[in-house]
Amino acid sequence: MTDHDNRNGHTETPRSDHFASKSKMAPNNSITKTPDKLKQSLADLGRYRDKQTFALLYDFFAPRLKSHLMSKGAHGEMAEELVQETMLSVWKNCKSYDPDKSAASTWIFRIARNLWIDRLRKEKSNLLSPLDNYPESSFVPAMKEFDSAKIKSALKSLPQQQAQLVYKVYYEGKSHREISEDMDMPLGSVKSGLRLAFTKLRNQMGEV
Amino acid sequence: MTTHHPDLSTLMSYSAGSLPDAIATVVAAHLSLCDHCSCHVQEAEQIGISLLEQLEPTPMSAGAKDDILSMLGETTQAAEPAKPEPHVPDDADVPSPLRHLLGHYLDDLHWKTMAPGLKQFILPAAESNLRLLKIAPGTCMPSHGHTGSELTLVLRGSYSDELGRFCAGDVADLDPDIQHQPVADTHEGCICLIATDAPLRFNGLVPRLLQPFFQL
Repeated sequence: MTDHDNRNGHTETPRSDHFASKSKMAPNNSITKTPDKLKQSLADLGRYRDKQTFALLYDFFAPRLKSHLMSKGAHGEMAEELVQETMLSVWKNCKSYDPDKSAASTWIFRIARNLWIDRLRKEKSNLLSPLDNYPESSFVPAMKEFDSAKIKSALKSLPQQQAQLVYKVYYEGKSHREISEDMDMPLGSVKSGLRLAFTKLRNQMGEV
Repeated sequence: MTTHHPDLSTLMSYSAGSLPDAIATVVAAHLSLCDHCSCHVQEAEQIGISLLEQLEPTPMSAGAKDDILSMLGETTQAAEPAKPEPHVPDDADVPSPLRHLLGHYLDDLHWKTMAPGLKQFILPAAESNLRLLKIAPGTCMPSHGHTGSELTLVLRGSYSDELGRFCAGDVADLDPDIQHQPVADTHEGCICLIATDAPLRFNGLVPRLLQPFFQL
């Protein structure tokens, strides 16, 4: 994972000077990318509202959110608009971020997901549905420490078809019915495949 | 005590934001009552984050960062209006995701009679069907199957079908190969929140003929 990130970091990710000077202190740049560091930055942003801190978070998250939204079907311009909306919302709402409850990436991912769903609703129908499917006040369980590396290796060990189902859910944002049409599989098999994949992934996540 | 929960595949898709609107609403309503499933959703979010981290970053266009940095000043100036928490009566029985649409009480809704013992209230949802159904005690729904996903949350009372007994807070997450004929089996009748992303498939001729009128 670290190699992968570094490679991208050297070639593509735009960085601010601030970022660059920090990375001199930590040759592999990982200092700005560990979940703890991101969490700290986001909590600091809520407290001090410092634009440099915001720029750091932006450099890390914006290009990743853009890829994420594009894989879900947003074209480049729309993806970029949504990234900006997401990051602006991060700036506005970071006071309410609680580092004890969620990782920075989880919190930001939720904002992006909700904005994406709002956008889809507006595009797909004239009816602006006032349903509130992802309420902010919803129950947030005590933060468990998940080992991202373990989830990644667990994903790699899934049978190909199950992995494909998981990718379609997360990357392409497809519903079960759409997946069943795409892959020419009965709906029941789509669900059972996802269920098996989820069970395997969470078993490995839980292992210490 | 809930004994029937949404399928793990449904919770996974909910966390990814990939469920049809109406089905996501039923999940949200169940989550507001069920810590067990809320934990699964958190795990599923974690899987999503790992997948997100594996994506190659796509560079933003040249001016994007400067644009957003120049907007930050403006947003700090605008005082954020503190949102007062709306007061919710203790006996409110409308699930929280639906409250700003329906108010607090199921009994205050304008229910429409569909058939003897059967009333419904249709909710707006994009691209999928969302309705509340009120089944009088002892009333039997026509036997039906499904052409797509159906998710049902019991809000009041209970019903029984081929799969078991479903009480308030329980969710029936049905696969399309399941045929069922729910019967409201308590004295107060049963109110359910039902989402479908495809029409139901009725077995009898009469219910099939009536289907267009029920909007089922």
